Amino acid sequence: MTDLFSQLAAWLTSAGQWAGPEGIAQRLLEHVEYSLLSTLVAALIALPIGLFIGHTGRGAFLAINLSGFGRALPTVGIVTLVFLVSGLSMTPVYISLVALAIPAIVTNTYAGMAAVEADAKDAARGMGMTGLQSLWRVEIPLAAPLIMTGVRLATVQVIATATIAAYVSFGGLGRYIFDGLAQRDLTQVLGGAVLVAALAVAVDLILAGIHRILFRHRLT
Amino acid sequence: MNPRNFVAGALALAVLPVLAACGGGTTSLNTPPSATGSAAAAPDSTMVIGTANFSENQILGYLYADVLEAAGVKTTVKPNLGSREIIVPALQNGDIDLLPEYQGNLLLHFDPKATASDSDALQQALTAKLPQGLTILPPSAAEDADVFTVTKETATKYGLSTLADLAKHNGKLVFGGPPEVKTRQVGMVGLKDVYGVEFKGFKSLDASGPLVKGALKSGGIDMGNLFSTDVDIAKNGWVVLADPKHLIPAQRVVPLIRTDKATDTVKTALAKLNTALTTEELSKLDSLVDNDHKDPDEVATEWVKAHGLSS
Amino acid sequence: MIIEWGWLTTHTDDLLALTLDHLATAVPAVLLGLLIALPLAVVAHRVRPLRGLLLGISNIMFTVPSLALFVLLLPITGLTRTTAIAGLTVYTLVVLLRNTVEGLDSVPAKVREASLAMGTGRLGTLLKVEFPLALPVIMAGVRVASVMTISLVSVASYIGYGGIGQLFTDGFQRSFPTPVLAGVVLTLLLALAADAVLVLVQWLCTPWMRKGARA
Repeated sequence: MTDLFSQLAAWLTSAGQWAGPEGIAQRLLEHVEYSLLSTLVAALIALPIGLFIGHTGRGAFLAINLSGFGRALPTVGIVTLVFLVSGLSMTPVYISLVALAIPAIVTNTYAGMAAVEADAKDAARGMGMTGLQSLWRVEIPLAAPLIMTGVRLATVQVIATATIAAYVSFGGLGRYIFDGLAQRDLTQVLGGAVLVAALAVAVDLILAGIHRILFRHRLT
Repeated sequence: MNPRNFVAGALALAVLPVLAACGGGTTSLNTPPSATGSAAAAPDSTMVIGTANFSENQILGYLYADVLEAAGVKTTVKPNLGSREIIVPALQNGDIDLLPEYQGNLLLHFDPKATASDSDALQQALTAKLPQGLTILPPSAAEDADVFTVTKETATKYGLSTLADLAKHNGKLVFGGPPEVKTRQVGMVGLKDVYGVEFKGFKSLDASGPLVKGALKSGGIDMGNLFSTDVDIAKNGWVVLADPKHLIPAQRVVPLIRTDKATDTVKTALAKLNTALTTEELSKLDSLVDNDHKDPDEVATEWVKAHGLSS
Repeated sequence: MIIEWGWLTTHTDDLLALTLDHLATAVPAVLLGLLIALPLAVVAHRVRPLRGLLLGISNIMFTVPSLALFVLLLPITGLTRTTAIAGLTVYTLVVLLRNTVEGLDSVPAKVREASLAMGTGRLGTLLKVEFPLALPVIMAGVRVASVMTISLVSVASYIGYGGIGQLFTDGFQRSFPTPVLAGVVLTLLLALAADAVLVLVQWLCTPWMRKGARA
C-alpha cells in the first residue's frame, strides 16, 4: 500500500503526466465537457417537467415513480445498447449520462415546488398575479434551494459515471481506469479514481458556494 | 451535502496513506493476497474453470469442462470473468483452478520482455517463468494469434503487405487495439524496436471486438490489432500484414492450471483436445457463437460429442 | 430485425439464473450497508463533531468510480463475490447513513426524554423508541439504496460478478443487442419488484403509521 501511494503521488505530480493530448489536463477537460454538457441537457429536460408537475400538481405520482424507475437504469447497459443500435459516437455516452441525471433533478424540483406553502401561492393570486407570474416570481424562487440541491446531486453522479466514455473508446478520466486495468498499472487506476473523486468534490463545492451566495438571505 | 463535511472527509481520507504505511505492500494486480488462501482445497474436489471476457475463451472453457466431465472430474465454469489481468491473479490465489490461455500473451504477462516466438520455445520459457504453483500443459493445435490488420483500401493506398512496409509511412498512420497494446512488446513497443515503425497515434479500443472493428471500418484507425480466428477478417476482405521478423509469438491454446489440480486424469483428459482442436475448428466454433448467437456451452458440448470425446 | 425474440424464449433459464445471481450480490450489499450505517448513524447523531466527518467520508467515497473501486479491491478480496459486495456496500452508505441520521434527528427530544424518564434505558430507548420513529425515513433510504445497488451491480460484470450485467458485456462482445435489451429491462423490473417488496415490508413493520393514516 505504501508503495502504491508513493507511486500515486509521483504519478499525480510528474509534469509529463499533465501535458500533451493524453495528459491529465486534457483528460480533465474532456471529463468536464462530457459531464457539464450531460447535466445541462438533463436540466433542460428535467426542470420544465419538475416545474410543471410541481406547479399544477398534475402527474406527480407518475413523474415520481418514473424517476425512481430512471434511477434503476443500468448505465453500462444503456451505453452498450445505444452503441450497438446507433454505432460508435458520443451519443451512447451522452444518452446514458442524461438519463442518469434526470431523475434527481425532476424529484428535487418537484419536491421544492410541492414544499411551497399554499399561503404563498394564495397571496400571489390575491395580489393579482397570473399562474405564470406566480410560478416565476413566487414559486420558483421559493423552490430554488431544493432545485439546486437536485442539480448538485445529479452533477456529482454524472462526474463519477462519465468514466463510461472510455468504455466505448472516448476520453475523459475514465481512460486512466480502463487503460490502467488493461496495462496492469494499478497506480494509473488509482490516479484516475482519485482525479474523478477530486473533480466531483471540487465541482460540488463550487456549486455549494454559488448556492450559498444566491440564497444567503434565506433561512432555509 | 455540507461543504464542511467534504473537507472533514477529505482530511480523514488523507490520513489513510499514513495508516496504510503500517500495512504490507501491494502495488500490482498480480500480487496474490495470500499464497495459500482457498487453495488448500483437496486435489480431487471440483475443478473451477475460469474464462476471460470474450466468446472464444468461454468456448474453450466449456470444451475443457466437457472433456474433464467425461473423465469423471467434477467441474464448474465461471464464464466472462474479465481480462487476463484480472483472472490470472485469481488463479494464483486459488479463486479458480484452470484457465484456457494462449502461449505468447501468457508469457508476456509474466515476462514483458520475453522474445521467444515459436511454440516449443514458448512452452520452455513459460515453464521457467510461471510463478510457483502454476503449470502449463501441452498446447493444442489451435492457435489464435494477434494479427495487425488493415482494410484493402489502406493496403493499396500505402502499399502495405508486411509490417516492415509500415515504416515507410512513419508518423502518418493511427493504430488501434486494446489499451495494453500501447505498452507491450507485441504492439507499439515491438513494432518500433523490431520494424522501426512509428505511428501518428494510438487509440485504446477493445480486443478484436466491435470497437476496433468499427474503427477500422469507419477509418478512425488505419491498422487494428485483431485475433487471427476472427471470421470478420475474411468477411470484410481485410489484409493481415505479414510478420517476416517474427515479432508476434505463437499463440497456441494452452491450459494453465494450478499444479495441485493437475492430476494424471486431468492431464490425459485435456490432452485429448489437443489434436482434434485445430485453428480451423476453433474459428468455426467462434463463428457459431459470435455470428449465429449460439451459446458457448452448447457449441462446446456438440463439438465434443461430434468428435467422439464425450466418453 | 434488431431484436431476436427467439433468443429470449430459449434463454429464460439463463435469464432467471442471472437474476438470482444479481440478487445474490445486491441483497447482501444493502444488508451489509445497513449493518454498518445504523451504528455509524447513531454515533453521528449523538456525537456532533463526528457527524460531518462520517457524512463527508461517505460522500467522497460515493464519487469514486465503481469500476476503479472493484479493481482496487481485487488484491485484497480476490476475484470473488465478496469484492463485488464490498464495493457496492460502500455506495449504499451515502444514502443509508444520511437517511438514518436524518431519521434519528427527526425524533423529538421530548419523546426521547420521556422514554428515559420512564426508566427504559438508553439502549432500550434507541431500539424501542428512536429507531421505530425514524423507520419511515430509514426505509426511504433503504429503498433508494436498493434501487441504486440493483442498477450498479452490472458494473461488476467487469470482474465476472455482474449478474444481469453479464448480458451487457456478452452482447457488447458479440455485437448482439438482444441480450443487452433483455438485461436493461430485467434490471428495471428487478428494481421495481425490490421496491414493491420494501414498501410492503415497511407497511408491515409500521402498523402505527397505518392507523395514523386512517385517522
